[in-house]
Amino acid sequence: MKVIKVLLCLTLVFLLGGCWNRKELNDLAICVGIGIDKVKTGYSVSVQVVDPAEVAANKGKPGRAPVTLFTMSGATVFEALRKMTTISPRKIYMSHTRMLILGEELAREGIAPVLDFVSRDHEFRTDFYIAVARGTTAHNILKVITPLEQIPANELFASLETSSKAWAPTAAITLDQLIADLTNKGKQAVLTGIKLTGSPEEGDQRENVEQIDSNVLLQYTTLAAFRGDKLIGWLNEKDSKAYNYITGNVKSTASLPCKGGGRLTMEIMKSNSKVKAILKNGKPEIMVDIHLENDIGEVQCKIDLTKMETIEEIQKEAEKGMVATGMRAVTYAKQHEVDIFGFGDVIHRQYPKVWKQLEKNWNKEFAKLPVHIKAEVKIRRLGTINNAFKEK
Amino acid sequence: MAQIGPRLDENVHFVKESLGYSNDIVIRELVLDSREPVRAAILYTDGMVDSHMVQGVLINSLLYKTRFKEIELEREEDLVPFLKDAVLTVGDIGDVNNFPELFTAMLSGCVIILIDGYEKAMAIGLQEWKDRGVTEPTAQTVIRGPREGFTESLRTNITLLRRRIASEKMWVETRRIGEVTKTEIAVVYIKGLVEEGVIEEVRNRLDRIDVDGLMESGMIEELIQDAAYTPFPTISNSERPDVVAANLLEGRVAIIVDGTPFVLTVPSLFVEFFHSAEDYYQRADFSTLIRMLRFVSFFIALLAPSLYIAITTFHQEMLPTQLLISLAAQREGVPFPALVEALLMEIAFEILREAGIRMPRAVGQAISVVGTLVIGQAAVEAGIVSAAMVIVVSITAISSFIFPAINMSIPVRILRFPLMILAASFGIYGIIVGVLGLVLHLCSLRSFGVPYMSTFAPFSFKEQRDAILRAPRWMMDKRPESITKRNMRRQSPNLKPKPPEH
Repeated sequence: MKVIKVLLCLTLVFLLGGCWNRKELNDLAICVGIGIDKVKTGYSVSVQVVDPAEVAANKGKPGRAPVTLFTMSGATVFEALRKMTTISPRKIYMSHTRMLILGEELAREGIAPVLDFVSRDHEFRTDFYIAVARGTTAHNILKVITPLEQIPANELFASLETSSKAWAPTAAITLDQLIADLTNKGKQAVLTGIKLTGSPEEGDQRENVEQIDSNVLLQYTTLAAFRGDKLIGWLNEKDSKAYNYITGNVKSTASLPCKGGGRLTMEIMKSNSKVKAILKNGKPEIMVDIHLENDIGEVQCKIDLTKMETIEEIQKEAEKGMVATGMRAVTYAKQHEVDIFGFGDVIHRQYPKVWKQLEKNWNKEFAKLPVHIKAEVKIRRLGTINNAFKEK
Repeated sequence: MAQIGPRLDENVHFVKESLGYSNDIVIRELVLDSREPVRAAILYTDGMVDSHMVQGVLINSLLYKTRFKEIELEREEDLVPFLKDAVLTVGDIGDVNNFPELFTAMLSGCVIILIDGYEKAMAIGLQEWKDRGVTEPTAQTVIRGPREGFTESLRTNITLLRRRIASEKMWVETRRIGEVTKTEIAVVYIKGLVEEGVIEEVRNRLDRIDVDGLMESGMIEELIQDAAYTPFPTISNSERPDVVAANLLEGRVAIIVDGTPFVLTVPSLFVEFFHSAEDYYQRADFSTLIRMLRFVSFFIALLAPSLYIAITTFHQEMLPTQLLISLAAQREGVPFPALVEALLMEIAFEILREAGIRMPRAVGQAISVVGTLVIGQAAVEAGIVSAAMVIVVSITAISSFIFPAINMSIPVRILRFPLMILAASFGIYGIIVGVLGLVLHLCSLRSFGVPYMSTFAPFSFKEQRDAILRAPRWMMDKRPESITKRNMRRQSPNLKPKPPEH
């Protein structure tokens, strides 16, 4: 009898529950890339949605495009997404978003309002990267069909990830990192830029990838510096590299001119950077200590690598070059009064009392902050041959 | 008339009448040729006795061999003891005091001797009947190990056990259960190893059974198990004498039922149903890995469809993007929600499996698993189910075959369905609640006083040597302490093999 009562209660619970928030797989529009631009009436949101039947592993010949772009504008991002259901057959499912692209105009006006939606919504995960569309709109970036990778947003994701490790001037920034930088008074945010090589109308066509040499490609450029949540300028390639060196997340190349013409390229295997603050007469100064362990990557000049003196010379040259690059980047940042390196954070951690006084006006104080960069480069390996065979 | 009267003809008539003049009862009347001729009758059931022995030895000894005339008997009452002491050249002679005992004995294959003037009879054990013979057990096969299996005859089964355990400590107690069938069952244990409480409990529960008939040990199992409403078996059964003998050595009690080759063993733990006899005959490392595989299969068989349904309908964010796209592509155009798909495929599979058991041997095995795959493939091409669902259902079904003991695959097959419904209603949360309920239920079970999940809860580090792992033989020097705490040592601790000293 007790069992029957329990079963009856359970049945009622099941009927009332209504299956919670069940969504079948074919009721989802899987969004992989989302782009937000500024328009007069508010925001224009472009959503790149996967067409699963086209992308499936056992598909025969391609019919439709692998992804679809839905664009809609609204006063807020949330409204734009809900309005999108008027053109999309299914409700957009955000969990698998891989890239968030912000238009340059929007970035200059301020990204914080947009980021509120992205961080508040429960469907978003935090593993996607954020980038700024440079010289074009996010809509155009998301329209391009990419070679080799069927889903363009995947291509963007993979390219950013790899290039941030192998080619220093880009940085793969995730949402929580970005928000941490935005809220941290001691560091300003940076984001990587994407540009379009070619016209967006061509990029939309399948012909773009049906030829060997695609006309339209998506390319990552250098970093954008933010003051607060507003974009204020673009670093050049060398400065972006320096940024990555100073913040310690680089594993890439550095190239030097040799004496007697030609260039020597080294590959950085391990890099480590320590940023410390010291107090001189009550005023803080920053010491940056960069350690690099390199392998020789490519030799295009006449030097004898088998001699220890040559190696030491190369090391010294590399150290000088590193310090110079670093100082240039710091100068640029000081000029624009944005502390993108997080020196304020370091001071905050080491000398909190001093920081309290400097906090309010940090950007101006940063412009006056003395920064000393020291680099130590060690060459470990020469690759699989010793001297270039052309030498003789 | 329950008592045997002194008059032979009345007794014989009573027997004939009670049995309805059955024509397989043989009643041979004869005269013992003593001073004063005494009439006697020999009664037996044809087909259950060794006719040659009855005729050649028993009747022979009464009619020919003994020169009654030459024997001086002091008193009349001495005839029966005299027959027992000096005349009857047979081994097993017992006394029968009343008619119920007489019928039981006679219909179990004993030969009854009734003597005019005596109010008792003698029962002589000369049973012989057609037996299936000791063959390879069909339900539990091993690659390496003995191929003898129990048969339907109690005597043969006890013999098979005795051949393996030659100790005088192996005690056999018999009783008869069933008002009409009077089935003989034997309770076997090793005195000194088994806990007294357990054997006492076994006796109590068996004595409590009050049924008309007992056909198979399964009936006893249902009547003596600890928990009435559980799908999980708390009593294990085996068709193999080596398995039962090993269990006896661990301090368990075996219950052999006449008429079935399946012998029960109590107490039984959850882990035991994952153990196969072969685990102990093959090498330890291999057995450990296979056991782990069985445990993993348990979870797959129980949870795979539920997890698939839950993740693809509620928690799509848990899937890697590429997998999600593949699955979404497969589901394009499928009309049913995931739960309905799953139920359809699972029920189809169960139907095919059950039907496969009844089909003729040659066809049956192939049809059940392969047939389902083929039907599944056809359904995928027709667009009724998605391909991933067929894969999940097939893996589930194949995993459920991996249990060496079939009675553990039954709860798994049953519990799959409620878990699927929970998964479809509440997602992974539903599965968690369901599994939690299951764990609570399992931990509350006991098998004859021993907690059912014994090596895991309460966790016993020493017993892990024979739970999921199978430690090498030289390490297993103590008996499992959850079964019995008496005489823990079963082999010397110094048995580890070493290369020779020099």
